[in-house]
Amino acid sequence: MNTLRLNAGLSAAVIVLLALSLLVGPARFGPLDSLRALIAGGDEATIIIMREIRLPRALLGVLIGFSLGASGAVLQGFLRNPLAEPGIIGVSATASLGAVIVFYSGMAGASILALPAGALAGALVAVLILMAIAARHGSTLTLILSGVALSSLAGALTSLALNLSPNPFASYEIIFWLLGSLKDRSMVHVWIALPLMLAGWAMLFASARALDALTLGEESASSLGIGMGRTRLMVVGGVALCVGAATAVAGAIGFVGLVVPHLVRPLTDRMPGSLILPAGLGGAALLLAADVACRVAIPARELNVGVLTALIGAPFFLWLVARARREAF
Amino acid sequence: MRLDAHDVAVTLAGRKVLGPVTLSLAPGEVVGLLGPNGAGKSTLMRALAGLVGCTGAIRGDGADLVAMAERERARRVAYLPQARIIGWPLVVRDIVLLGRMPWRPYGTRPSDADVAICDEAMRLMDVAHLAGRPATELSGGEQARVLAARAVAQDTPLLIADEPAAGLDPAHQIAMMAAFRILAGRRRTVLVSLHDLTLAARWCDRVIVLDRGQIAAEGAPGGVLGAALLRDVYGITAHVAHDDQGLILAPLALSAAAAGGAE
Amino acid sequence: MRATRPARNRRRNLAVAVLAGAAAVVPGLSPAAANEVPERVMSLNVCTDQLAMLLAAPGQLISVSELAADPGLSFHHARAAGFAKNRGLAEEVFLERPDLIVTGTYSLHNTTTLLTRLGFRVEAFDYGQTLGTVAPEIRRMGRLLGRSAAAESLATEFESSLAMVERSLCGAAPTAIAYDQNGIAMGSGTLVDSAMQAAGLRNIAAELGFAGMAPFPLELLVQHRPQIIVLSEPLADTPSLADQIAGHPAIRALGQSSTRITLPRGSASCGGPFIIEAIKALRAARETLVPCPPLPGPSG
Repeated sequence: MNTLRLNAGLSAAVIVLLALSLLVGPARFGPLDSLRALIAGGDEATIIIMREIRLPRALLGVLIGFSLGASGAVLQGFLRNPLAEPGIIGVSATASLGAVIVFYSGMAGASILALPAGALAGALVAVLILMAIAARHGSTLTLILSGVALSSLAGALTSLALNLSPNPFASYEIIFWLLGSLKDRSMVHVWIALPLMLAGWAMLFASARALDALTLGEESASSLGIGMGRTRLMVVGGVALCVGAATAVAGAIGFVGLVVPHLVRPLTDRMPGSLILPAGLGGAALLLAADVACRVAIPARELNVGVLTALIGAPFFLWLVARARREAF
Repeated sequence: MRLDAHDVAVTLAGRKVLGPVTLSLAPGEVVGLLGPNGAGKSTLMRALAGLVGCTGAIRGDGADLVAMAERERARRVAYLPQARIIGWPLVVRDIVLLGRMPWRPYGTRPSDADVAICDEAMRLMDVAHLAGRPATELSGGEQARVLAARAVAQDTPLLIADEPAAGLDPAHQIAMMAAFRILAGRRRTVLVSLHDLTLAARWCDRVIVLDRGQIAAEGAPGGVLGAALLRDVYGITAHVAHDDQGLILAPLALSAAAAGGAE
Repeated sequence: MRATRPARNRRRNLAVAVLAGAAAVVPGLSPAAANEVPERVMSLNVCTDQLAMLLAAPGQLISVSELAADPGLSFHHARAAGFAKNRGLAEEVFLERPDLIVTGTYSLHNTTTLLTRLGFRVEAFDYGQTLGTVAPEIRRMGRLLGRSAAAESLATEFESSLAMVERSLCGAAPTAIAYDQNGIAMGSGTLVDSAMQAAGLRNIAAELGFAGMAPFPLELLVQHRPQIIVLSEPLADTPSLADQIAGHPAIRALGQSSTRITLPRGSASCGGPFIIEAIKALRAARETLVPCPPLPGPSG
C-alpha cells in the first residue's frame, strides 16, 4: 500500500475514534449537543464535561498512543528487534518507578508537575541500561530477557515505594502505575505531556534516516554517512521523552508499541524509518479504541486501559515469540 | 581515488591490534588484502572506512578522511562489511537504493539518476532479476550479492569490501571479481580482502599481505605469493603454477614449521 | 470506616498467619467470665478505640490501636496520647493477656479467630455502621466495660443532639454528594449517607443507585451539580494521586454553584457519638443554602 494512503487512512481512523471518545461517557447527551458544547457553548454542565473531562481524556489518548506506537517502531528499528517495545523492555515500568519516587516521597510537594521529571529520569535510565546491554550482546533474546528483569525489578520497587508511603491510599495506586489509565485526567495533564512529547516526536523522526540505514547493521549504516552517536542520542532521548511523559500522566500502558508496528509494517515498504508515522497514528487509534472499550464494557467499574492493552498485547507477544522462533532469529 | 594511509594504528581495549601500517592505493586499481584470520584485515578496512578510531593519517585525494564529516566521507568511501545483516524483509531494490543515501535528501522519491545507478549496480552483481523479492527470502549467496550491489550503488571513488566472495559459488566469485575490475576500469579504486589466493592472484593488480597487524609483503601477486610467504604467513605449502593469465595456487598441506607447532 | 483499612490490615494479617501455626502448642488460657467487669481491656480497631477511650474507667483500657492517634481517622486522636498503642498483632495481645479484647468484625478477622482459639475473650463490633447503630454500640460497649451508666448518658446525649438537628430542619432538601479520594462516592447504606439524611440533605449518589462506597464518574458529578460537595481532606501529609481528584479542573469549574465543604477530620470515619460533629457541619452547609429559623432553647 502507498505510504501516503496508509497514513491518510490511519489519520481518518484517529479522527473518527477521537470523536467517538468524546461522545462516550456516563453522562448521556446527544452528539450534536456534545460537539456544540465542545466548540461553541451551551449548557454549562455539558461544557464542563466536554472541555474539562472528555477532551483531555481523548487528547491524551491520541498523544500517548502516538508516543507509544512511534517509540515502539523506533526501538524495533534501532535494535533490529521485532520484540522491542517500551513496556516489554521495562522502560515504562522504570518511568513509573521514577515518577513514584519523586511524587510519593513528597520531595516536590504534592504537585503533579513533579511527575514528568521523575518519569523522564526513570525512562532515561532504563533506555541507557538496555542500550548498553544491546551493544554488548546483540541477540534479540538477551535484550528481551534483560527488559523482563528490569521490568520486574522496577515493578517491585514501585510497589515497595508505595507501600512505604505513609499515605494509606498510596498502596492502592500500584495498579495505576503498573497498568495505566486515562480516567479523570485534566487539561493540566495535557499541557504537562504535550511539550515533552512534541520534543520526543521530533527526536524520533530525526532518527528515521538512520533507522533505514541500520537495517544493514551499524557498520553499513556508518559507512552510509550515519553518525551513530547522534542517532543513539535521538533514539534514547526521543523514547525517554515520549515514554516518560506518557507514563507521568497515565501510568504504564504496555504493548501498544509492540502490537501496532507489527500490524502496520506489512502495509509499508518495511523501511523502519517510514514506519514511525503510521505506527504513531496506529498507536493513537488503538489506545483511543481501547479507552472507549474500557468505558463501554463495564461502565460501573471502569477497567484501566492498561489492563485492556495487556489483555490484547500479551497473547500477541506470545504469538510473535512462537513465530519468531520458527523463523529462527 | 588515491588513498594514502600513513602510520595507521588501532588499539582496542588497550591492545594494539593493527599497525602502524602505511599504504597507498591508486585510482583504477584492484588491491587484494590478504592474510590469515586475525591478521587485522577487517580492522584495517574499518579504519580506512572511518568506522573505528585510529591514529595516523588517512587521506583520500589529499583530503583528510579521518576528520571528514560522516556524510561527506560516505560519498568517497563505500564499505561492504563481512557480516551480512538484513534486518527487515525489504525488497532488493530498496536495499540497493540505501546505497544512494549519502547522495539524496531523505524522504524524497529517488531521482531517475539514482534509479539508473541502482539498476546498473544490480546488473553488475547479477541480482537485477531479484529486484522485487524480499531480501530475507533469498539464499546466502544472493544476499551477499545484493549487499555488494548496495555498496556499488553508493558510487564512491573508493570501495572497500571485506570478504565479499566468501560463501559464493565459483561462478559468482569470478563474476564478483570481474565486477570489481569493471569498476576499476571506471577509475574506481577497490580494496578487497580475500581468503582465496588464486582469486587474489588472478584478479588483483596488487596484493597487500597482513600478518599480526603488520604488512608482511606488498606488490604484484606473482612477486609476493611465493612459497616463503605462504610458509611464513599462512603456515602452508602450496602447489604454484602459472598460465597466461597469472598464478594458480592450490594449498596442499601445513608447512613443516606449522605442523610441528601444532603438535 | 473508610477504604483505608484493608491495606493496613493485610500487613497485620501476615503476622497473624505466621502466628497461627504456633497456636496449637500454646497452653490454654482461662477466659474471663462474660459477666465479670474486665480489668485489662485492649482495643484493636480505631472505632472501638474511640468508644473505649470515651467510656473506660481509668486504668481499665491498657492499649488502643496505633490508628487511634491518627488525626485523619480518629476524631479523639488527642485522647489517644494517654494510652499505649498496639499494632493489632496477636503476639502483642498474647504478651499483654487482657481480660477483654474489643475490635471490628471486618478489619482483623484472622486475628479475632486466632485469639478466640487461644482462649481470649474477643468482642467484635460490626463494620457496617449507620446512624442507627451509634447509640446501641455505645450502650454495648458500656455493658462490656461495666460502665453502663456512663454509656447511657453518652448515648442519650447523642440521641438528643441528633433529634435536635432533625427538628431544626425546614424547607426542601438540597442535593449533596460525599466525594472521596479517587472519586469514590458514599452511596446508600453508608454512615455518611445516613448522616446526610439526618442533616436534611439528598445524597445524589444514593439517588442514582450507587450503594456502599462506589466509584462515581466525575461526569455525573458535573451533570447533576450537587449543591453541596463534601470533599475529604488528605489523609496524610504525604501526597497521593487519590487526593488529586478534589483539584480536578472540572470540579473547580463548577464554581460558586456548588458549596464545597470538608467534615471535621475523623468525625465520619466511625459510627461513634462524634458523628454528630459531621452532621452539624453538613447542617451548617445546608443553612447557607436553605436558612431555617433557630430553635428555641439551648442547642446541642
